[in-house]
Amino acid sequence: MTKHGLVIDQERCIGCQACAVSCKQENNVPMGQFWNRVLTEGGEKMDTPSGGYPEDGGSGSLDMQYQPTACQHCENAPCVKVCPVNATYTRDDGIVEIDYDKCIGCRYCMAACPYNARVFNWDEPEHMPEEGTGDVEARPQGVVEKCTFCSHRVDEGLDPACVVNCPADARIFGDLDDESSTVSKYIDKYETDQLLEDRGTDPNTYYISGEMSPGRPQTSDKMESELDDVSPWSDGDDDVPSEEADSVGGESSGSSHSVEGGEIPYATPAKSGGDD
Amino acid sequence: MTAKTGSSRVAISSFSGKGKLWIGLLVALMAAGIAAWGYQVTTGLIATGMRNVFSWGLYIMMFVLFVGLSAGGLIISSAPKFFHSHRYEGFARLGVLVSLACIIVAGLLILPDIGRPGRIYQFFTSPDFRSPMVWDFGIVLLYGLLNLWYLWLLTRRDLAARGSALALGFKDTEAGRERDRTLMFWTAAVALPTAVALHSVTGWIFATQVGRGDWFSPLVAPVFIAKALVSGLGLLLVVSVLADRYTNFEVDHEELTSLGKILGIFLAFHVVYLLAAERLPHAWADHFEFWAIMSNFLIGDSVYFWLWTVVGGAVPLAMLALPPLRKRVSVIFTASVLAVVGTMFEGIRLVFTGYEVANIDSAPGISLGGEYTGITTDIWATAGAYTPTLVEIAVTLGIIAFGAFIVTLGLKYVPIQRVDAEPSYATDGGKQDQ
Repeated sequence: MTKHGLVIDQERCIGCQACAVSCKQENNVPMGQFWNRVLTEGGEKMDTPSGGYPEDGGSGSLDMQYQPTACQHCENAPCVKVCPVNATYTRDDGIVEIDYDKCIGCRYCMAACPYNARVFNWDEPEHMPEEGTGDVEARPQGVVEKCTFCSHRVDEGLDPACVVNCPADARIFGDLDDESSTVSKYIDKYETDQLLEDRGTDPNTYYISGEMSPGRPQTSDKMESELDDVSPWSDGDDDVPSEEADSVGGESSGSSHSVEGGEIPYATPAKSGGDD
Repeated sequence: MTAKTGSSRVAISSFSGKGKLWIGLLVALMAAGIAAWGYQVTTGLIATGMRNVFSWGLYIMMFVLFVGLSAGGLIISSAPKFFHSHRYEGFARLGVLVSLACIIVAGLLILPDIGRPGRIYQFFTSPDFRSPMVWDFGIVLLYGLLNLWYLWLLTRRDLAARGSALALGFKDTEAGRERDRTLMFWTAAVALPTAVALHSVTGWIFATQVGRGDWFSPLVAPVFIAKALVSGLGLLLVVSVLADRYTNFEVDHEELTSLGKILGIFLAFHVVYLLAAERLPHAWADHFEFWAIMSNFLIGDSVYFWLWTVVGGAVPLAMLALPPLRKRVSVIFTASVLAVVGTMFEGIRLVFTGYEVANIDSAPGISLGGEYTGITTDIWATAGAYTPTLVEIAVTLGIIAFGAFIVTLGLKYVPIQRVDAEPSYATDGGKQDQ
């Protein structure tokens, strides 16, 4: 079985909002709504750190991190369980999706979601340009919508738009059921958290913090599982930088910082956008 | 024995000037409600004060209130019947009538909350039985039908005796009355657990949710039972006193006082005991010093909390507990009104505790999804805020007016009391053991 999951490396994330914007564009998300948001973990406002400057007797404790947040595609998804009409459901591949024809707009799922990942079309959705953007049909007034892991792209073997458009390669998409996938390896190797783990929702989205991973390995739009043996950077034996990663993570090296020249899999080439 | 025929009383024989004014007011409120709902359907729920963070509002708060209100009447009329008692017989029919009206109001309040009311048939074509909302949909429907059946069962022989078409062809015979008494017992036996299920399931809509603060508590269902007892009995007393004053309905003063005492007990159990049981463990676990624990235990955090516990709890409890006060009709009436108002604020507080705080509240927050007015508009929020709009208030009042209209029609067309109620205690009392 396939179980799609997302790993977000918060150490790689630069807070550029490209994932939020490309999601909005790819999925034709109405004005005033976001399916994917880049939150600032730190100060009160966006892009501000917590703590104080290290000068003039300050504490020198400045700290800031970005947390891109969308639907977590939970295994034990409360939104799926509360939907009275089976409009929100879990696909066989683990993606939590909404059937907009069935949705009656009761918003019980919004009450159920601990992540506030869902938005409701309170009025007739407005798009800019008016005819909409991206490859997804607009949703009507009166339904709830949210991130679908770009299921329309996944069905064609493509990574979600936010993943492809991340300039920091901080988002890695793949099959959590496949032990050899990059996502599985990263979850195994790096310190990863699920959001609000204590609620028992068991999200399929994981966040790396602490040590930086090498990031998303492939340069292609295609999902890792579609790449076969064609590796974008190596001699073709392995798509996943397992050897490099292993040597990187070796504690014996004594290096506390994970990024070294050899570990960066490639120089990011120009990528095609999500609208192809 | 056939002398019993025709010994029932209808509360309103014909509408006086005041009565017509009352009907006119209700019709005006209903018309305004329909117009407001029509406006809301065309513009969308943007016409309400709800947004993405605070996504349930007045409709759900009032739904919770009216589900609770529908408890009192049915319990007061069915509990004695279950134990073959004639206690509170004078309140039985009015009680079921009020219960019926309240559950209809509760059911209707869901409609304007739905984003696409046209798709509501999906409840039948594509239900997910994991959803507490499906359970609630079923139990509200069942409870409404049960109330309708019970009211008709209680009154059909009297309706027949009066020659009303509402008897649906049933005749007023002694054997029939005898058989109905057995049916009433069995209906009461079904009604009591159904009422418990209704309030528990409505509580579980909230109590099952891990993402909304205080909602996720096993105590919510018992609290819903308690507040149904408080508010339901409170409303029955309010309606009884009003009906006694403005219609031919007659309240037995001794029974009214007795029900007032029971309301006091319910209030003590709900507002004092259950609330304390809910708050103490958290206050104790979260704080270290004795006074910190105590103040967190005893002092609430929102105005709704105080409106509920003091105005809707301590004050009516004191009124119903003090011997020189509790026998006065005006005191019982005021205490009952306060109990209903307090319960309303408890429901409001429950919804607020769920939506006020976002679990993940880092900046910029959650997009609100409000009307997009331009590039400078701040569409983000890190916490929930809610104020109902006039549209919501108009729709809600319209639906409540419909409930009052049902009660008024019931008082006009349903024989609400037996005239020989008092002497019949003795004669019927002898038959209980048959």
